[in-house]
Amino acid sequence: MSPILRMENLTVKLGGRVIIENINLRINRQEIVAIVGPNGGGKTTLIKTALGLITPTEGTVEILGTTPEKAIKTGKIGYLPQKTDIPRNFPFSVLDVVLLGLVNSGLSRKEKLEKAKKYLSYVGMGGLEDHPYGRLSGGQQQRVSIARVLVSDPEIIFLDEPSTGIDVVAQESFYDFLKKLRDEKGITVVMVSHDIGVVGKFVDKVAGLNRFLHYYGHPRDFFQRHVLEKLYGTDVELIIHSPECVACEHFHSDFRK
Amino acid sequence: MAELLEIPFVQNALIGGVILAVLLSVLSLFIYLKNWSFINVGISHAAFGGLAVGFYLGLSPTVFGIIFAVATGLLIGYISRKGDIHEDISIGILFSMSMAFGVIVITLSPNYNTDLFTFLFGNILTISKGDIILLGGFSVFALGFIAAFFNKIMYCCYNEEVAYVSGINTPFYYYSLITIIAIATVLSVKLVGVILASAMMILPAAMANQIFWHYRKILVFSVFFSILMVVAGIFISFQYDLPSGATIVLLYSALFSISVLTKKLIGKAG
Ligand SMILES: Nc1ncnc2c1ncn2[C@@H]1O[C@H](COP(=O)(O)OP(=O)(O)O)[C@@H](O)[C@H]1O
Ligand SMILES: [Mg+2]
Repeated sequence: MSPILRMENLTVKLGGRVIIENINLRINRQEIVAIVGPNGGGKTTLIKTALGLITPTEGTVEILGTTPEKAIKTGKIGYLPQKTDIPRNFPFSVLDVVLLGLVNSGLSRKEKLEKAKKYLSYVGMGGLEDHPYGRLSGGQQQRVSIARVLVSDPEIIFLDEPSTGIDVVAQESFYDFLKKLRDEKGITVVMVSHDIGVVGKFVDKVAGLNRFLHYYGHPRDFFQRHVLEKLYGTDVELIIHSPECVACEHFHSDFRK
Repeated sequence: MAELLEIPFVQNALIGGVILAVLLSVLSLFIYLKNWSFINVGISHAAFGGLAVGFYLGLSPTVFGIIFAVATGLLIGYISRKGDIHEDISIGILFSMSMAFGVIVITLSPNYNTDLFTFLFGNILTISKGDIILLGGFSVFALGFIAAFFNKIMYCCYNEEVAYVSGINTPFYYYSLITIIAIATVLSVKLVGVILASAMMILPAAMANQIFWHYRKILVFSVFFSILMVVAGIFISFQYDLPSGATIVLLYSALFSISVLTKKLIGKAG
């Protein structure tokens, strides 16, 4: 089967600086892929390039079998950007935000409302339809945005740090939720994450990015000192011993070997 | 007051004023959501330059005003989208240049005193039937465009990159809105002048959002209070022989201050 996303010899320069370099990546359908790496490593840039929001300096991107410019017109791509601060008096209701995902759907007003409400319950936000979006907590806003992403029935979704604002306990169920999406709806998930420990337990593939794609493959082989050192440099100790590294059991045992 | 209503130019002023109040307050929602007040101020200064050139050449100031305003608006829009130069600096340079140019051109022409003042701050007495037809026609077109594509435009206001990935032609809506704002600015010249037009496009939605959070209510409230302020401003300016544009904008600002203060007080109490 041909990959749903393919990057070949991809290099992106921004403001005269090389941000990501010579990336070769293939993501298959119905995979959950986590892009991890240090801050400023180019994770957001990689996602934006896949979506056609950034034009590569060199190399090619193929998504859904075509160029990003053509692929977005199909409406089959979902995108949750990295969280920005939303003012408390932001003039959209929770329902408005989800309805945005149906702007191009061609459904009637009534069908749109039904579908939007269904997806709000799906992410556990049912009953809050008329609530001001700006007054929700960070985690609740992320969930509403995920309903906005899913309501358009995408084939592939890009989530840039979706767990920001979701506490560590809720994160586990969030990843179970992503697995459910993959298994029930056949969605491909590409997500950026900071918490490498948690991610290691749940995803099908890990992409370790710090300007170069230092690692791409099964999470099992990701947790090796030489891989992590390449990715995080001298910060590696910090990462391993951070409180976020919840799933570091298998990780530490690898180290002892 | 009743006898004022029978004077034809007062009637024209009121009709023109109400149309403009509706148009500018609807636009204010998008300017507010997109944080475009700086683009808007830039456009109004450039419009002044264009009006001056048209006036000096003895050709239509409106046409030249529109050309300058649209060109500047699109250029500012382009620069801030590409984000290469810091946008505030580039916009500042652009509109100061156009404004300074306009002042020099106007100074070179005879009779410059009155015309400079009119372009900057408006003179409601000079609104003609022709002006009203032009303004009315454009408003129908502009509001029709916004109504037809409302959901897509709102998606762009929510988050342009997300809208783009959903297949919305975001550059089209972005540049269309800027063009509409630029033309509306020039068509405001007789009522409030190009400089104060930007206040009528910034204050209504900002004020409404102090009181209401939902955009539908913001829209309704903005339109309602703009009409009220413009009609009141026109009557007050006739009654006390004050400049109409400045009177209207003072009323807007007063109401804005009251709404902010009220919100602060209520916020403290509750
Ligand atoms: N438009 C831009 N112009 C110049 N540099 C940029 C631009 N956008 C991002 N960068 C730089 O690219 C690097 C990678 O950014 P990003 O992709 O956001 O990293 P990450 O998401 O991994 O934290 C950062 O150093 C950032 O400063
Ligand atoms: Mg990022």
